[in-house]
Amino acid sequence: MQRALNKSRQTKSPKRQHQLKRLHRLVAKHEPIVQRGASITTGFAEIDAYFDAHVTGGVPCGGLHEVAAESAADMPAVLGFAHRLAARFMAQGADDDVLLYGQTHAACRDGGQPYAPALTAHGVSPHSLVYLDGVTVPDLLWAGEQALTCPSVACSLLTSSEAAPDFTHSRRLSLAARTAERPILLALGKTAASAATTRWRLAALPHNGWQVTLEKLRLSHDTPPPLDGWALYPSTPQNAETRHVMPLMRRAV
Amino acid sequence: MTSAPLPPKPQEPFASPVLTGRRIVALWFPHWAAETCRAPYQANRPFALIDMHKNAQRLISLNAAAGEAGLYPSMTLPDARALVPDVQTAMADPQDAAARLQKCAYWLQRYTPWIGEDTMQHTADGLRDYGLLLDISGCAHLFGGERALLVDIAARFATYLDGRGMTARMAIAGSIGAAWGLARFAATDLTIVPEGQDAEAVLPLPPAALRLTPPHIDLCQRLGLDTVAALARFPRADLTRRFGPEPVLRLEQALGQAGESLNPYLPPPQFLVRQNLAQGVTQIEALTALIDTLCVRLAAQLKAEGQGAQRLDVALTRSDNLVLALALPLAHPSADAAHMLRLFEERLSRLAGGLDAGFGIESVQLVAAKTTAITAPQDTIGLSGRLRKTAPIAALGGLYDRLVSRLGAQVVVRPVAHASYIPERAVRFVSVLQAQNGASDETANPLVDAAARPLFMLCAPEPIEVIAEIPEGAPYRFRWRRVLHEVTTAYGPERIAPEWWGGLVGDNDVGTTRHNSRTRDYYRIEDTQGHRFWLYRDGLYDRETDNPRWFMHGVFP
Repeated sequence: MQRALNKSRQTKSPKRQHQLKRLHRLVAKHEPIVQRGASITTGFAEIDAYFDAHVTGGVPCGGLHEVAAESAADMPAVLGFAHRLAARFMAQGADDDVLLYGQTHAACRDGGQPYAPALTAHGVSPHSLVYLDGVTVPDLLWAGEQALTCPSVACSLLTSSEAAPDFTHSRRLSLAARTAERPILLALGKTAASAATTRWRLAALPHNGWQVTLEKLRLSHDTPPPLDGWALYPSTPQNAETRHVMPLMRRAV
Repeated sequence: MTSAPLPPKPQEPFASPVLTGRRIVALWFPHWAAETCRAPYQANRPFALIDMHKNAQRLISLNAAAGEAGLYPSMTLPDARALVPDVQTAMADPQDAAARLQKCAYWLQRYTPWIGEDTMQHTADGLRDYGLLLDISGCAHLFGGERALLVDIAARFATYLDGRGMTARMAIAGSIGAAWGLARFAATDLTIVPEGQDAEAVLPLPPAALRLTPPHIDLCQRLGLDTVAALARFPRADLTRRFGPEPVLRLEQALGQAGESLNPYLPPPQFLVRQNLAQGVTQIEALTALIDTLCVRLAAQLKAEGQGAQRLDVALTRSDNLVLALALPLAHPSADAAHMLRLFEERLSRLAGGLDAGFGIESVQLVAAKTTAITAPQDTIGLSGRLRKTAPIAALGGLYDRLVSRLGAQVVVRPVAHASYIPERAVRFVSVLQAQNGASDETANPLVDAAARPLFMLCAPEPIEVIAEIPEGAPYRFRWRRVLHEVTTAYGPERIAPEWWGGLVGDNDVGTTRHNSRTRDYYRIEDTQGHRFWLYRDGLYDRETDNPRWFMHGVFP
């Protein structure tokens, strides 16, 4: 009894408390952050390993996720990665849920329209696609917010190659997505200050690869994600094919 | 005892008919189905509609020329062919003919609002009989009298279907029974009985003019009763004992002694609400509040009929009599006032150049132009909203409506597979309002490897400058959008030939003529930066063209 009393007195001393706090912070630095809402794994072993070490679960479902291009020519890679994430988010919902895919006029003109027969290779069913064929940037963000009000839209993917939403709009979308606990993916050609939960930056790599950098992870202030990123070679059937189908030509550069 | 008719008893004095002022027009169309038939035929030569009737192919309806040639309804087709070898025939469509009769009834509302179906729908042969009854009490003077009204109707019928004309016999009498009988059995095509003289007009007609059933007509013939007068001579009690109650009722109805009501066509319910304003409104907020109340009223009307609106039309009438019309298509039928209002708000706020109210909007009209029956969703018991996803289709429909009303129907689309080998034609975008569930009759081509197709396809193939190592080979370097790309890897070619049936089917799609006339060799290309493209050479060397052009068609992620 006396011992327990002594112990409680000891913990209450300011010095001990300070020491405890420091230890807590130290432990927290090495322990993954606990998140409550639903989350997904990305399907890329390196990225998932990083999330395992730092954040439980993986990429949170509720939130705004930005995928940005290193240069304008990298938009296809951005969209490829965004589709992979969207497919993962879609898997969380029901079978007949839809993917709202919106593009600005400029994105349509520069990058073209999504081609339904190819979607299955990226994990998205063409039947689940609802496509907005060329809208203005404010309309695009409005559509994303509207999609959050409808429980049958499992994920919305918004593409803007010419402009990013400013911080106010980004924060508004981010808050709405976190409240609704459903994801919004923004594929951007240019970036601005944003309140996104995650921001990924992509560049194309030779031999069907992507250089993926996780620039921002809202949950982790203490351990920033690796800045140099990961070189990923997504396991598409296309890659599998390269092993047994010889290309017509391959030049050493 | 001879088979003489029952001994005539002293004739009962006819009760003097009450002068009700009621005037009924009976129209009878003896050749309705044949004359209104859409099949082209020569009106001055025999024509008949054929259908299976009583286990044989029989003539259902004839035109006037066929009647003159000796054909008659319910005649079998072989008999008719024996009599008139070159008789023109077409298959009958009874539903269509009945629908046209109803349409005619609505048209006749220009003369009177009270138009009814005939009570006797079939002739003695069991064929459909086409006739209409119009209650013109108090309407005739608007057309210059009863005769002028009938002449007007006849003149309009004569010009029917570019002068093919339509035969109609007409009669005006004080009772439905008398008018019906006179239209069919009077000596002239156009009969008008002065008020109060129905009995005198009906008495010389045959008993069939009383709308009797075939057994009763037979009985009358066997008893030698060849006119209504002969029948009317008997005491009613005796007639009832011999014939049953119906002929007596019909007799009294024809003589105007028993009442009979017209069963009018009712127009389908119209969902229309309108608000006229004492003073013009220019503020969009006031207008929105007004539309809100109209939406609530319209939704109440729709709910009362179990209908949901599929298209809403709103008409805003300005004080200078200009009408601003907005149409809103809905993805799913809805009777939800809040949903309708939200769509209108969206639309009003997006009007090009804002709402130009001029000197004010004086009247607002809201119409559910297209409706379908909806079943009320079942209310939930016990489960909380979070556990269960309520009516996902309806929720999606609401989202589609909002997106469409703001962005336009052509922008909110779903992909629909199309059976074609030409890559840009293998899929089409269809508005979500048309493609409800995204399912399509046609399926994607199973031979196409999804990974060999680009994730994004350019809206139209873009010409590029290409240097190839050998004429038939893959590109060595190319220039697209003013950027030079050095090719490191090329897969291909994948040869896609034009569809040989393309010209036969008569597709008028955009791009088919220019791009589908030649064979394409597609290559998947990767450049030094790791960017991946899908491009093709349009046309084969020597066989199709001397100088084939290259096009960029898509990008791989």
